Amino acid sequence: MKSMVVRRPSHMAPAGFWLLRLGPWTQLVSRRSFVAGALLLLLLACACLVSLTFGGSRPIPVKDALLVLAGQGDAVSRLLINTLRMPRILAAVLTGAALGAAGCLMQTLARNRLATPGIVGLDNGATAFAVASIVATSTSLLPSILALFGAATAAVLTFALASGSGSRGYRFIVTGIGVGAMFSALTNLMLSQAPIDAANRAYPWTVGSLNGTSAVAIRALAAGLFFGLPWACLLGRQLAAMGFSERVSISLGVRLGALRMTTLAATVWLTALGVAVAGPVGLVALIAPEIARYLAKQRGVPVLNSAWSGALLMVVADWAGRNILSPIEVPVGIVMAIIGGPYLIWIVLRQPDRRVQ
Amino acid sequence: MKRFELPCIGDAIATLETRDLYLGYGRRMVVNGLNLHIPQGQVTVIVGPNGCGKSTLLAGLARLNKPRSGAVLLNGQPIGSLPTRDVARLLALLPQDASAPEGITVNELIRFGRQPHQGMMRQWSSKDQLIVENALHAADLVELADCALESMSGGQRQRAWIAMAIAQDTPLLLLDEPTSALDLCHQIEVFELVRQLTNAGKTVVMVLHDLSSACRYADHLVAMKAGRIVIEGAPDTVVTSALIEELYGVSCVLLKCPQTGTPVITAIQPLPHKQQKQQGQTEFVAEEFQC
Repeated sequence: MKSMVVRRPSHMAPAGFWLLRLGPWTQLVSRRSFVAGALLLLLLACACLVSLTFGGSRPIPVKDALLVLAGQGDAVSRLLINTLRMPRILAAVLTGAALGAAGCLMQTLARNRLATPGIVGLDNGATAFAVASIVATSTSLLPSILALFGAATAAVLTFALASGSGSRGYRFIVTGIGVGAMFSALTNLMLSQAPIDAANRAYPWTVGSLNGTSAVAIRALAAGLFFGLPWACLLGRQLAAMGFSERVSISLGVRLGALRMTTLAATVWLTALGVAVAGPVGLVALIAPEIARYLAKQRGVPVLNSAWSGALLMVVADWAGRNILSPIEVPVGIVMAIIGGPYLIWIVLRQPDRRVQ
Repeated sequence: MKRFELPCIGDAIATLETRDLYLGYGRRMVVNGLNLHIPQGQVTVIVGPNGCGKSTLLAGLARLNKPRSGAVLLNGQPIGSLPTRDVARLLALLPQDASAPEGITVNELIRFGRQPHQGMMRQWSSKDQLIVENALHAADLVELADCALESMSGGQRQRAWIAMAIAQDTPLLLLDEPTSALDLCHQIEVFELVRQLTNAGKTVVMVLHDLSSACRYADHLVAMKAGRIVIEGAPDTVVTSALIEELYGVSCVLLKCPQTGTPVITAIQPLPHKQQKQQGQTEFVAEEFQC
């Protein structure tokens, strides 16, 4: 091998990156993922605007909608936008972002593209708890809060049962599917035994819906994301070395055990927030990171872009659910499943020669 | 020989030794009470038959296996008690089963070597850039910098991994069979690179199967059997046909290479007593079968 020596670097930053410098602080920003993020945010803004103005019981011209957003406009438009459509769109954006980021974290953690919070049972846990609070008359707790605990319970259970396996994401996934199945059975048992009224009220929690999201819930969700999303982004940087075999990442100075635990905690936090408001729309967590990775063509961990594409997916799915079979409303979880099912098959078909990983 | 230099190469020193080290998996003990001092600035090569515990020892030296008892001391301190990130700035390991994220390019792989030196707020410096470019040159991978690791040949891939370890810029480098997948030419290239690294002040520990290469490139040879050190020292003095017989149970011819003056080993056949034992076992099984 040649021992030619480079004395001055030919570039300041690796190819494809911008180097931001502020005093002693330096940040590397991938150009592709920055552009992808900007594109996703632009699309998200467009989708929100379309969802605000087009469709529903009464279309509102874009001009009027913008007037309302600026604090003006006529009374009817204000009512429609401020109290009906805006909260719903906000809920879609926030839950989508939470679930997208959570999906990205968990896929990286388990080193498997199929390992999303929904598949490893978190959604089912949340649903079971929420349904229990509605069906069992003795509980007066809000279903949202119980859904949060349900997701956490499922995660702790899965992790405890699969522990000792550490690195092997496969074992974690299989355990998660088992735990999820138990919770799902529990949900169905409760629904079959409950009076029809209670079962009806519990129904949105079993499919995932943004109908009738309360303002308090949205505020709580926003507050939770305010901490959760930056946390997830920080973890994303450290998780980049997770793609190596375990020995290599330890050799690179990664504290694997601690990183796994904190990532799992962040995933549970984000998933629980999303599911507590929207119910089990876990497929967002599967598809959003996929879109982010496709756009950025990067090997890193695109947490932020997954959040944006998750938000975009949710807004679009919610809008489609409200309008395609109008006046019947299709819950967003069902729309998501209609998109997500074929997508799963497409992942397998697209890469016959590669492992589905 | 050309002197290898990296302008930004770290001059940190690190000592590595084991005290009464026991390592094992489950109930099975693999390394039994090992006392080893790695000489600084030299190439130490660990040899021994399959299952003698050499890879386990290397992993133990790199804090990947926790000692059952005894200790691995890095700069005099138990390695397990040091923050793993600090250890990663002193010691790099290239394991045998190294696998990288899907689709990663050579450049990206080598960049990961800088990770222990970076922080959340200090993600890249001109020193990082310089070291990465030099590692690319050292491993002769400049033209392949943007190739996907998966698309490259075994030899190129192995060089990329070594380049990553170089970019980690640690005073200690542990390599587990770095040449096992390589053809003759690439083997020599890797060994020459290792030699140059020690010339630049690095300490290298390798596990090797090929005794002749071990003799040629080791400054310090450690022969292991059943989790213990049989003998250690300079290859010329340590390697005898008696040692080869003891280690591997084969008779061999030991020659002196006319070019390099180092021992060259050719195995001839398994030793008779071992053969007898095997025959005995077969007979026993056959008898059992007849019953």
